[in-house]
Amino acid sequence: MSYVDAGYSIGLGVLFLYAVGLFLRRRSLERAVELSPPPGPIQGPTETGSASGP
Amino acid sequence: MSISEKTAAVVRRPRWLRVVGALALVSTAATVWLGLWVTPPDAVQKNLVRLVYLHPPIAWVALYLAFGLSALASLLYLWRRTRSMFWDRLAASSVEVGVVFNALTLATGMIWGRPTWGVWWTWDARLTSTALLLVLFLGYLALRRVPADPEVRARRCAVAALVAFVDVPIVHFSVIWWQTLHQGATVLNANLSPTIHGSMAWTLLLGFIALTLVFVWMVGVRYQIEVLADRTGAERLEVSLAERWAEGELESPSAGGNGHGNGTTGSPVRPPTRVGQ
Amino acid sequence: MWRDALLVAGKDLRIELRSRVALWQVLPVAVLSLVLYAFALGPARHTLAAAAPGLFWLAVLFSTVLATQRSFAIESGEGTRDGLRVSGIDPAGVFLGKAAAVAAELAVLQVVLWAAMTLLFGVHVHTAWLAIVASFLATIGLATAGTLYGALSAGLRVRETLLPLLVLPVLAPVLLAASRAWSGALTGPVSSGESWLRILGPFAAVYLVVGIVLYGPLLETA
Repeated sequence: MSYVDAGYSIGLGVLFLYAVGLFLRRRSLERAVELSPPPGPIQGPTETGSASGP
Repeated sequence: MSISEKTAAVVRRPRWLRVVGALALVSTAATVWLGLWVTPPDAVQKNLVRLVYLHPPIAWVALYLAFGLSALASLLYLWRRTRSMFWDRLAASSVEVGVVFNALTLATGMIWGRPTWGVWWTWDARLTSTALLLVLFLGYLALRRVPADPEVRARRCAVAALVAFVDVPIVHFSVIWWQTLHQGATVLNANLSPTIHGSMAWTLLLGFIALTLVFVWMVGVRYQIEVLADRTGAERLEVSLAERWAEGELESPSAGGNGHGNGTTGSPVRPPTRVGQ
Repeated sequence: MWRDALLVAGKDLRIELRSRVALWQVLPVAVLSLVLYAFALGPARHTLAAAAPGLFWLAVLFSTVLATQRSFAIESGEGTRDGLRVSGIDPAGVFLGKAAAVAAELAVLQVVLWAAMTLLFGVHVHTAWLAIVASFLATIGLATAGTLYGALSAGLRVRETLLPLLVLPVLAPVLLAASRAWSGALTGPVSSGESWLRILGPFAAVYLVVGIVLYGPLLETA
């Protein structure tokens, strides 16, 4: 393999792999957002349903 | 690929990003085709000149575009009047993509250097300062990974980016002097730019445009990732707090459904009602 | 700002005088490193003499990292940093004060190192003024950049490993320029050594200014 071929392969290859990595990271984070519970405000003790016990 | 409303609330998938991505792909492919097959070999450098369609554009993106953008964004973040998480996220994205391009600058530079100079590495001004720049910005990435409140982290990283960026011209000049004073350097500092004309000039220009587009696209996607990560990071914190609270309830002997958690750390944070109650 | 700087510098130096950490820990490590260099490079006089300026500044560089870490470690107690912030002291003054204290410690360190180096490596300073001016400028650069990064990584648990990674690349030009300058002062042509002052000067000036400007925003985060 010539130096030119090596240069192009490495240059483009790394860029491609990084791009794929970006795609995958974005997808997994989007899934995490999908699966997560809807955001709610952090509430104080008085708003917790079972504050007074049985 | 469509995304749900919930995700769309967090991060949009703007059309311009997709367009840029497509253009980046096309122009890069065109550069490769022109560079490898259409343009003629150089009189002096023969086929090695084909690397000029890749290496200088990659270097330009890494050294000027990426790090310049991150410094500018960091400045805008620190300046109160324009402070916004947008700049912080932009800076971080730019640095990460910049590091990738920086590493590639070194790699392609070395690959070009080996047949030209006979060695993989030499302490010539450009290689040395590029290597130092890589380490500088790896430091930024390391700093970014330290867990902290987003605004704290943003300010810390912004200062780090600016301080590093300010160092760049100093490094550049000092290393150039270092080489000019060092006798053996003149041979290895051979000017790598061949005289460019005709189709080669156009291909070079295309190369710059193509890699700039690649950079823009990558920063765009990386920015989206940053937004998503911040969001899921915040949620993960909530969930883990809720879990810990619930665990505390289960372990504490006085747990009779007492929501005040007297056995636990006494943290004022309580989970929203949807969790386990 | 200057009065605050003196206040803070005084405080830091007084702490050092009382605890003597720099004296008993940083200084010995620096001298030890000179010995280790000899172990690494072999005892041949000419090798060591040729490498002396670089080795000297390497030792100073690593000591800067230690001194800066120490400078911020003394404030890691509960609420100390908050106390500094709330006390109304000008952050630029805090920066100048801390940097000045570090610079003072580095200056003392360099004198001792120079003596040790003369003894261990058999080198002599021919052009004293060049060595002194170079040291002065380099020390300012090291202290200011170091303090800036020290503040940046203060309070982080990974501080010990992060600070070197952050600050050493930035200090690399100082290492380069100071070594070349001292090489001119020790053996080589004075003129070439002199020209390196043109790197040391701007570096010191730049980081002095950058520190004054950015320290305020940085302190807010602590």
